Amino acid sequence: MNNSIEFDVKPDWDEIEKVRNESADFLQSHELSDDTIHSLSMIISELIENGLKYGDFKTEGNKVVVIINVATNMITVEVLNPVDESAYEHLSKLDKTIQWIRGYQDPFEAYIERIKEVSKKPLHDMESGIGLVRIAYEGNALLDFFVAENNMLNVSVVSNLEKGDRVSS
Amino acid sequence: MIDREPIKFAAHLIQGEEKISIEAKYASKFSLLIRFLNGHKADPGSEFSKLVFSKNGEEIKIGPCQYITEPKKNGYQGRIVFSQDVYDLNSLFFEDKLEKLQAEFFNLPLILAHKDDIEKCFREYTANLNYDLNVYKNLFDCLDARYADEPEVIKQHVQDAIIETEGRKFMTFLDEKLEEFEDIIINYSKKDHERHGYYLRKQLWTFIMCSPFMTRTNLKPRGYSGDSVMMKMIYDNKYEGNSTFGKLMHKHPSEHPAAQAVRNRRDIITKMLSKVKSTDMKTSSKKIKVLSVACGPAFEIQDVLTTAEDCSRFHFTLLDQDATALSEAASQLTQLEKKLGTKIEVEFLNESVRTMLTTPKLDKMWGQFDYIYSMGLFDYLTTPVAKAVIEKLYQTLNIGGKMAIGNFHISNPSRFYMEYWLDWVLYYRTEHEFIDLLKNVPSAGTKVLFEDTGSQMFLQVRKYDN
Repeated sequence: MNNSIEFDVKPDWDEIEKVRNESADFLQSHELSDDTIHSLSMIISELIENGLKYGDFKTEGNKVVVIINVATNMITVEVLNPVDESAYEHLSKLDKTIQWIRGYQDPFEAYIERIKEVSKKPLHDMESGIGLVRIAYEGNALLDFFVAENNMLNVSVVSNLEKGDRVSS
Repeated sequence: MIDREPIKFAAHLIQGEEKISIEAKYASKFSLLIRFLNGHKADPGSEFSKLVFSKNGEEIKIGPCQYITEPKKNGYQGRIVFSQDVYDLNSLFFEDKLEKLQAEFFNLPLILAHKDDIEKCFREYTANLNYDLNVYKNLFDCLDARYADEPEVIKQHVQDAIIETEGRKFMTFLDEKLEEFEDIIINYSKKDHERHGYYLRKQLWTFIMCSPFMTRTNLKPRGYSGDSVMMKMIYDNKYEGNSTFGKLMHKHPSEHPAAQAVRNRRDIITKMLSKVKSTDMKTSSKKIKVLSVACGPAFEIQDVLTTAEDCSRFHFTLLDQDATALSEAASQLTQLEKKLGTKIEVEFLNESVRTMLTTPKLDKMWGQFDYIYSMGLFDYLTTPVAKAVIEKLYQTLNIGGKMAIGNFHISNPSRFYMEYWLDWVLYYRTEHEFIDLLKNVPSAGTKVLFEDTGSQMFLQVRKYDN
């Protein structure tokens, strides 16, 4: 059985559901529990959504790439998409947000803080940033990212596989 | 900086079916000054169901509110205050957010329910510890009160004596409680640790806040735990705090193995750089180019540069995401320059490692280095990011150059103390996982060494010619 799978995602919102289903099949083949698959599917959808939102798809053929790797005790999901200079402000925010979320031992605290912020109802549209917090809290995963030299943004999550995360355990 | 110029606006108050025109002015965080228009009069205490006005083209309706009178203020007849949902007018007028003061309570059920899955023995442990810490705190506070009126120098002597006697016994008590705690949590999952850590901090928050060390790691004023102030506290390893109890609560984590490892790693880097200096001095007259990644205040450079001749041998490039840390490093080095009467060649790069890799041809921009080190960065990078960063750093290394990268080992004896009490979570690695970060770089010669406590590893890398 293959431990890794890679999806090329066209810049089209309808693609999210397709990748979500196909990745769920892959995760199921690794005998992961329904809860684990559900969490990872949420993570994959959130990350692709961000990729589509902030990616640079002006050039023909630019796409989002999703790589899932299942190791003995860990799952890594990497979502890559090209970015241009207009995304730099977003990247700086992403850097701060990820460090802020990971600054809490319990991502529940970040979740509570973010909900509190969201409840303040901005008078004009603003990013809620709740998606990343959900990944950490509901998905129980560690977020990180880097931008490679070719301006490819790589957002990854690492999730430990523990007792109960596999059907057979 | 928020501009708090007086904000005046036309509005109306709704009372039953009536719409009463007013002129309103921002007065304070929770009140508006108002003047009734068209000769309208209202009794003090009058209730209105809504205050309605327009802001940036959007109609805002907030209330209910009440009219309170006060002596005429610049022609305004009184104030409007909110009688149920209390709105934060600073948020509304200066941050464009409609925020109810009571919003803090929205999450209450969620927070209260978060304790539901706490193990019984952990509850008992925390309750007993809470009791014991209260007793200790009371005793130390009472002693502090008894010598509070003494002259400063006497106070200091008395406090030192208390710290050396009962204080050290209290530290032993904390050690024993931590051992007991580790036995309880030994089989917890990641999620269990997170939930129980949150519970412990909530229960012991008062005591945590007595310790400057624990306060800073928990509150993270610069957005991350291991900032330059934290590093200084660890290097200083002193009794700091506003009371004897606070000083003891500060000193305890400063003495723990992970903090000792941080002090040890500074010595390791100093020795490595001194070795590079003495080796290279024999073979080349060129300056030794050193890059410190996530340098923080770079205190170790003061240990390396002890003479003017040392300064003439090195060119430092200091990289950090935190501009404050860089300016602290700059000011330390300026002082050192004055002390040694010479210039130190140093460049400062205010960059995040996560985004610096976008810079095309980083080596062309920054140059190549003979020695690269990073003490406390990789503890925060997950594997995909750590790999990308270390490979990039390796690219900027000269052939024959060396790199030393620190990372806490998975067996760090302070791990759960840090996570539960300090809210300080690191990304731990085994030796194998650490070496594996460079598995795609065949020309790298790697080995792992540990500092004396065994908590912290250094990945030593040498770049060979392909």
